Amino acid sequence: MRCYIDRVTTNSDVVTDIKQLIPDAGMRRRMSRVIKMAVTTAVETLGGVENIAPLDAIITATGWGCLADSERFLRNVIVEREQLLNPTPFIQSTFNTVGGQIALLGHNHCYNVTYVNRSHSFEDALLDAMMRTTDGENRNILLGAFDEQTPSQHRIMERMGLYRCQNDGEGAVFAKVTAERTEQSIAQVTAIEFLTNSLTEEQCRERYTTDEKCAVLYNNYTKYGLYPTSSAQSFAQAVKMVCEGSTEVVIYNEYFGATPTLIKVQCIG
Amino acid sequence: MGIVVTGVGIVTALGVGLDKNLTSIKQGVSGISLSPQILGTSHTLPVGELPVTNEELHALAAIPASEHLSRTALLGILAVREALLDAGVDSSKRIGLVSSTSVGGMDLTEHFFEHFIADDSKGRLRDVRMHDCAASTEAIRRHCGINSYSTTISTACSSAANAVIMGAKLLKHNVVDCVVVGGSDALSAFTLNGFKSLMILDNEPCRPFDSSRAGLNLGEGAGYIVLQREEEAEEYYCHLAGYSNRNDAHHQTASSATGDGAYLAMSEALQMAGLAPSDVSYINAHGTGTGNNDASESAAFVRLFGDNIPLFSSTKAFTGHTLAAAGGVEAVLSVLAINRGILYPNLNFKSPIEEYGLQPLCHYKEGESVECVMTNSFGFGGNCSSLIFTR
Repeated sequence: MRCYIDRVTTNSDVVTDIKQLIPDAGMRRRMSRVIKMAVTTAVETLGGVENIAPLDAIITATGWGCLADSERFLRNVIVEREQLLNPTPFIQSTFNTVGGQIALLGHNHCYNVTYVNRSHSFEDALLDAMMRTTDGENRNILLGAFDEQTPSQHRIMERMGLYRCQNDGEGAVFAKVTAERTEQSIAQVTAIEFLTNSLTEEQCRERYTTDEKCAVLYNNYTKYGLYPTSSAQSFAQAVKMVCEGSTEVVIYNEYFGATPTLIKVQCIG
Repeated sequence: MGIVVTGVGIVTALGVGLDKNLTSIKQGVSGISLSPQILGTSHTLPVGELPVTNEELHALAAIPASEHLSRTALLGILAVREALLDAGVDSSKRIGLVSSTSVGGMDLTEHFFEHFIADDSKGRLRDVRMHDCAASTEAIRRHCGINSYSTTISTACSSAANAVIMGAKLLKHNVVDCVVVGGSDALSAFTLNGFKSLMILDNEPCRPFDSSRAGLNLGEGAGYIVLQREEEAEEYYCHLAGYSNRNDAHHQTASSATGDGAYLAMSEALQMAGLAPSDVSYINAHGTGTGNNDASESAAFVRLFGDNIPLFSSTKAFTGHTLAAAGGVEAVLSVLAINRGILYPNLNFKSPIEEYGLQPLCHYKEGESVECVMTNSFGFGGNCSSLIFTR
């Protein structure tokens, strides 16, 4: 399996005015913080809303989904004793809201799916994208991952003791994925594996790299904070490393004892 | 490469297991009760609730109550176990799981949050550990002998149909030898109030495709099927011949009047199966009973099938709308439609929607020749998915 990457953007790379990225004022107003963060990152990646329509798949990933809206609606249910509730936070609490809003923004009728699988959400979405490009089913895919922090989520994870060794975090990463190499291609993904056993950094290097110049990002997601799709930030980092001259970057992630995953990003040669 | 269905498992308000579900449907007995008994809510609204408490579900699944699993996980475990037992899969094979849910562990989170909002040092952490969608998948993995790749999908009410699509892909790419696909969703005050705030819940038992329909009834349940590559299966129920996931791109919650997403999904699924619209023997419709869905789905039927609309019905008046599980529950019923020649009645139907004049099946039939079944699942976010099963 193989796919090519045209562009990767993280939420901190977004420079375009939100009014250009999400031109519909009504949509913009209703969107929560995470939806705005994810949709602006997505549209920035594509270089404008007009580039949503030609996509033939929109694949998103999120571990927590739209937490703030879920929490707001749940709080209202309890506080208002199930009476006279505003439906907007409920509507926008669904996990596929970001994928749906991107489709709506570009009037795009293509394949649209959301993976919600903890620390593997992004990897599962990437696997789906690679299977689809390999099958020839899709040629131009928008792939993305996002998660947001909220004060409640932070407090709960703090009470669980999860921030003792690691910082908190949130973010969005989107990539434009193609089946064939294009003039815009900047990197290629040549492997995604779900491993049965843990590997040490040395074992990763021995088994998966071709020469000493290859880089290994070993559990490097930790640097982006403790949230389910932080590994997508490592992926963005690997693509940027390839753009800056690395020939090959192997990403190994093992998040809290979950099945380890391995992604290989290579230069397009 | 052909993909076949080798096992089925189902839990709905009609009961735990395939036999209970099929018997109720045959007898015309709906699982919709006039108000929830187990779900904590002040609303008196009809729901398809399984009359079994979480403690009883732990006991049924032979899991100690101390594991404190969410209701979504418990329903899922019962259905996945039934499906795997039915398929008789050899445990030396790579057995994968693609599960789906829309509420995850919300039933437990609701308890937690009541205490937490008053004082953020309160609320038992064990009530919030299963909040995320993947927690139910992990519990199913652990308790059902899943030994290979697993993932979780959430695309609102089309979730389980998309799990079926991902499962087929995993088999084609040899990621797994066998994969359990479907979804599970428990009733929760969160979803009941959510749909109520959208004013799409009927105060009476729902009437899909009827001119007097006034909304849906929420349900709960789990439905899973086991998929394998045809050449590796000794016996099977039927083929998964086609599938499609398309987007309506019309509105975050409402379907387009022209049924664009539904039309595209049904057409593409048929095209993939290499079939013509006239080859469809029966459609298990999404048919929620809301004014909007049933009109939009009818419009899509007319666009695709013209004057020759196949036999169709919605089974949601039996089970309620089981949200992310609906595509799994209805995949199980569709598989049995082919295998036993069953045609399911659309309960509570009296008169057709004037604009379309479509008449769903109203009587139970068995032993019919059912060669090709289409099943539809549509959801928030414009998600529209169609699956095609053939003999």
